[in-house]
Amino acid sequence: MLRKIVIRLVSLVGVLLLLTFIVFLIQRTLPADPVKAFYGRNSSPAIIAEKRAELRLDDPLLVQYGAFLGDLVQGDLGTSLRTRQPVRDDIGAFLPATLELAASASFVALTLGFAIGIIGSRPGRMSGVARGSSVALAAVPTFLAGIVGILVFYRWLDWLPAGQRSSDPGVSTPTGFLLVDTAIGGDPAGFGDAVRHLILPAIALGIGPAVAVGRTLRASLRQAYREEYVRSARAKGVTDFNVIRRHALRNALNPALAMFGLQLGLLLAGAVVVEVVFSWPGIGLYLSQGIQATDFPSVIGVVFVLGVMYVLINAVIDTLQLVVDPRLRT
Amino acid sequence: MTVPEIRFSEPTHEGPRGQNDRPGDPPVDSTAIDTTVVAGSPGTTTRRRPRYRFAPGHRPRRRRMRRSGIAAAWILGCTTVVLILAPLILQLSEVEVAGTPFTAPLGDQILGTDSQGRDMLARTLVAMRTSWLAALVIITIGVVVGGTIGLVAGFSGGIVDTILMRLTDAFLALPGPLVALAVVAALGPSLRNALIAVALTWWPWYARIVRSEVRSLMNRSHVEAARAGGLSRPRVAFVHVVPGTLSAVLVAASLDVGSVILVLAGLSFLGLGSPPPAAELGAMTAQGLTYLFNAPWVAVVPAIGLFALAVLANFVGDAASDALEA
Repeated sequence: MLRKIVIRLVSLVGVLLLLTFIVFLIQRTLPADPVKAFYGRNSSPAIIAEKRAELRLDDPLLVQYGAFLGDLVQGDLGTSLRTRQPVRDDIGAFLPATLELAASASFVALTLGFAIGIIGSRPGRMSGVARGSSVALAAVPTFLAGIVGILVFYRWLDWLPAGQRSSDPGVSTPTGFLLVDTAIGGDPAGFGDAVRHLILPAIALGIGPAVAVGRTLRASLRQAYREEYVRSARAKGVTDFNVIRRHALRNALNPALAMFGLQLGLLLAGAVVVEVVFSWPGIGLYLSQGIQATDFPSVIGVVFVLGVMYVLINAVIDTLQLVVDPRLRT
Repeated sequence: MTVPEIRFSEPTHEGPRGQNDRPGDPPVDSTAIDTTVVAGSPGTTTRRRPRYRFAPGHRPRRRRMRRSGIAAAWILGCTTVVLILAPLILQLSEVEVAGTPFTAPLGDQILGTDSQGRDMLARTLVAMRTSWLAALVIITIGVVVGGTIGLVAGFSGGIVDTILMRLTDAFLALPGPLVALAVVAALGPSLRNALIAVALTWWPWYARIVRSEVRSLMNRSHVEAARAGGLSRPRVAFVHVVPGTLSAVLVAASLDVGSVILVLAGLSFLGLGSPPPAAELGAMTAQGLTYLFNAPWVAVVPAIGLFALAVLANFVGDAASDALEA
């Protein structure tokens, strides 16, 4: 098991290097001259030359890559052309809102996904319904889910708020995590408000991954039902519920977990879209504004941070699989 | 239990040939068909079906799609024709002003007009056509690029295989949609660049599938025979190996069309597709968000068009993969 984890770590480093190299290449191929973009077209040649030297634009490519890696390790992602702040500080300010949203959406994805998978795997009329609706649900664009949610539950029924993280525009969040802050600060009204603001965006974001997880789980559960340990459990008189919970589900869990890890890439990219729809003040909205303003350092910074998150979470899930399934350990 | 398993487990080349055998098919020994269960592994409950298509007494299994799948395929086909002919039928351009801005649906314009008075129906249909064709282009590029890499890796084996597959795995470990986003942002927003970016992140799946199919086909006797017969490597690869990988690739590709459509629309939603005034589903929805409460149709109509396209693609893909998976 230790050997497996070590191999996993080595490949993790490789993947992270590839990610940094791609980000670096993207930065190098920008059609716009980053120096002119920063100072404007009519700045004096002396200033431009100085900045070029500072950004090491005249060095060989590999030297530049080395310097780029060095900057990354120190957390230097450059300066945003739009906000004129270091991209690192901007991301630090906006990341907690995105993390809260992504975590809630993951919760939706896993609960809804397990429901779809377990119901769909069992014989009966609900199985066909679950299958058909999962094919249809997989085709719902994130922004359609968001828009319909806003129109129905905010505009029409007025049950839930739509947009922003809180009804109070001046709400203070020392850590940036509104849920955590209100919970620790003993503010149940604020906590409830934050939860209500989370419901619609989290569901809009979680539907897609939920369907993918559900379909994978359904397939692996059906396979597990054919195994002999399930038959003997049934023969012993174990109830249907316990057959699934104690026998089939544990063995069918791994493919669903792996699928969830893969779906995180879509979930993080979808978070950008959902944050635009709900004016959610996270790094997705920041990224989208960066795209509109052709602010490359911030775009690339956000993609890099989200990419690293994705790679790391998948590494954790891989390791978790070893914990869940002893068969994989050797 | 002195079953001479060696004689039975591998069909020998002296076996009798069926009348319908083609030269590429393995010789059939009728006694060898159902006895491929290897002795010494008790508890093997899955009985292997004979894989020979022309074995005596075995009709080739007919592959059929579910009825709902056939219906979805027909609807998708008709939709494609309608989308291609849309500009001719409508006599309306997607960029020209057709009426007063924000006309509600079901009036002069069936689906209303947008903020500039352009006809929503014309714009949505044109945008759906763009999405649909773009998705097909991406899948094709992905299959060709990934398929080539997978074929080279699987066919060469050894160090080439290892290097190519490590690279593929590394690409698979990256979050595709995010990388695509960064690539388009760098290349400059346009439909062509969005196509390039998504295709760049989509090929590794096909590379992996093709490679594993090729590896298993390489051990099959018809490929061995072709190689022993001294056929050139490209000929063995393209005539004897590639056809065997097609069904697996088609299954994967047909399941992917819907996702590709959605990813592309997401990029366009963020302003990374064609610049305005071009009609694109994602960008149209994003523009409509501003007027969501006063003129909801401007945002909802293109989003529903996108949903319809993706649903059809998903249903057809689902049914096709069911039928193709032996």
